[in-house]
Amino acid sequence: MDIRKIKKLIEIIEASDIAEFEITEGEESIRISRYSANAVVPAPVMAAPIAAPAVSESQQKAVVEEHAGHIVKSPMVGTFYASASPGSKIFVNVGQRVSEGDTLCIIEAMKILNQIEAETSGTVTKILVENAQAVEYGQPLFVIE
Amino acid sequence: MALTTTQRKILVALSDGQFHSGSDLSETLGISRSAICKQINTLDDLGLKYSAISGKGYRLFQAIELLDETMIRAHLSAGVVSQIAAIDCLDVVDSTNNYLLTHGQTQPALSQICLAEFQTAGRGRRGKQWVSPFGQNVYLSLSWQFFCGVTALAGLSLGIGVCLVRVIKALTGIEVGLKWPNDIFWQGKKLGGILVELTGDMEGPCSVVVGLGLNRALSDDEATAIDQDWVDLHRILGHKNVPRNKLIAELINELIPFMAAFEQEGIGALINEWRRYDCLVGQAAELQLGNNIISGTISGINDSGHLLLTQANGETQAYNSGEVSVDIA
Repeated sequence: MDIRKIKKLIEIIEASDIAEFEITEGEESIRISRYSANAVVPAPVMAAPIAAPAVSESQQKAVVEEHAGHIVKSPMVGTFYASASPGSKIFVNVGQRVSEGDTLCIIEAMKILNQIEAETSGTVTKILVENAQAVEYGQPLFVIE
Repeated sequence: MALTTTQRKILVALSDGQFHSGSDLSETLGISRSAICKQINTLDDLGLKYSAISGKGYRLFQAIELLDETMIRAHLSAGVVSQIAAIDCLDVVDSTNNYLLTHGQTQPALSQICLAEFQTAGRGRRGKQWVSPFGQNVYLSLSWQFFCGVTALAGLSLGIGVCLVRVIKALTGIEVGLKWPNDIFWQGKKLGGILVELTGDMEGPCSVVVGLGLNRALSDDEATAIDQDWVDLHRILGHKNVPRNKLIAELINELIPFMAAFEQEGIGALINEWRRYDCLVGQAAELQLGNNIISGTISGINDSGHLLLTQANGETQAYNSGEVSVDIA
């Protein structure tokens, strides 16, 4: 793998909450861990420690395999909300056309409600998370084609 | 929606909470008595309670101190004034946060502020209603632009809570506590809440709107819609008046410098101050995360401000999201 690519990966990971990261490209594979085995590991920030990664891994894989369209990923660890408040209109449904800048969802972390906006225009073909579900950093949320 | 000039004149005349006869009002305001009678009826629409007694006149149940931009500005420190683009004092608005999210113009290092007498759709977390009757409480929103990305803003919620605790203590002497991350509590009763909303680039420039609701004086009638134990400043103080515009100004005086410095300094020393106000630590609690409920004992917060919950198996984990409820039993 290109050294510049690895450097870029390290930078991205450093700026995130990710503790460990593994990527496979063809026959090459690289694993980056932020903490050495001896280091004092702070309690991990868990949006939901209950089996959440398992779900996201399989979903992530499925999305990567299809590779069609633009994948909107969660910019943070938090809770995903499909509407502004319970009972109010869902921001986007599958099949709906969105324009750049439209609000797709809210992710709440530290009681800050982050409005996630569409970076591209297109049609929402997949919503990969459930309302009120805990999401991890980088977890795919939507596919826009 | 705004008050008419006549409505405003009448409200100002009645704001002392004393009786004013129809003829006196008619004379001082230069409006006919029948027009005054008609206008006073419209105060019902604002939820204002008043009595009309023949021979005595009209009286508001509670004196009000209307929002007054000049008075607020008079209490602001010079440094803070220079960091404010505008202070919009509104009579009626759906919510002060909505107002800034739709009308706000973000400029670097300048805050836009919105205040309202009355919110028709005051909001708490997740669409919970924030009961917002006319003229008594604080409904304040302010905007600020950040460039550091959302990850670096995690401590913001906690810091805003600390700012509120400081102002309440300095102005009234009341010592309040914080429920993670930033609900304002007094002896187990809710006094105030904060709602932070963020739009823009999650990894770059984004605008934050901080909304705060602080109960200053609520009537029992008005409070029937509140679904939890509540309190207001006047009740805590045995109905001693807390000057409303001054309270608002002091909140702005504390919040603006905090927001302005946050990008450089982060939560810093405020994290330990937050810990002193923590009213949950050591308590058995449940954390609701989506459809999951995690039970345990609150072990405080870590240095990033995340909630630490120790489960029965002794394992402590940090959380940055979820709704905490404390076992009262």
